[in-house]
Amino acid sequence: MKIDKLLLPLLILNFAGVSFAQELKKEFIDPQPQESRSTAVKVKGGTMLFLAGHTASQPRPDVDLGNFEAQFKATFDKIKITLTKAGGTFDDIVSMGVFLTDLRYIPEFSKLAKDIFKKNYPAITFVEVSHLARPQSLMEIQPIAVIP
Amino acid sequence: MILPVPQSAYSQAVKVKGGTLVFLSGVGPVDEKGTLQAPGDYRGQVNATWENMRRIMAKAGGTVDDIVTMTVYTTERRWGEIFTDMRKEIFKTGYPSSAFMEARKLKTPGAFLEIQAIAVLKD
Repeated sequence: MKIDKLLLPLLILNFAGVSFAQELKKEFIDPQPQESRSTAVKVKGGTMLFLAGHTASQPRPDVDLGNFEAQFKATFDKIKITLTKAGGTFDDIVSMGVFLTDLRYIPEFSKLAKDIFKKNYPAITFVEVSHLARPQSLMEIQPIAVIP
Repeated sequence: MILPVPQSAYSQAVKVKGGTLVFLSGVGPVDEKGTLQAPGDYRGQVNATWENMRRIMAKAGGTVDDIVTMTVYTTERRWGEIFTDMRKEIFKTGYPSSAFMEARKLKTPGAFLEIQAIAVLKD
């Protein structure tokens, strides 16, 4: 009974051609699974979320000692907290700027990223920088997400 | 396009409503197999990069004119003016917003530049 009450106005709006909650459409162009990234990601609809650069930082000083995998995990833990707060998940990430102090970490990054993205790989740009905000940081990640 | 800067072929801001977004991975002077094009030749690499960008935008159903913003990472900041000069020929319907910065290294060894762009396709 409750459902009917909810559905009726939705159906009326649908038939009237009114779009009140735009459906999210996503297309991954030329995915490269071995690199855990797509050449481009095409998105229509949804809510955009622009994240700040995320790093493994103060709450986890233990990971700041040159351990790439630990920093990767700590960084994505923080990204997850931000995404959750905004109502999103890792699957909603469509693009990332990945700033590394050494690009020789790219293969390790791609390997670890497989567990994060499963198969919907975001567009990624890798850039090597001389320094990040904290001397111990090996990476900073700036994601863009689109939440359904 | 808000406050275009024609001499450097970019706009201070671009305002967009609606459309389909395309987020591109970094595009550099490489062929489809990832092999570096025009080694040591800055202009050649800029051309190869835009050629790539055209190909990817076509695959996404658009053109380079749909690009609304781009971040240009370069290992050779001193050649920035060559880049912006050449960019004047790329865009026919207005300039995207843009940032230009030096990176220590890029993904493809020997690449002088890589462009991270966002485009919006008209519905």
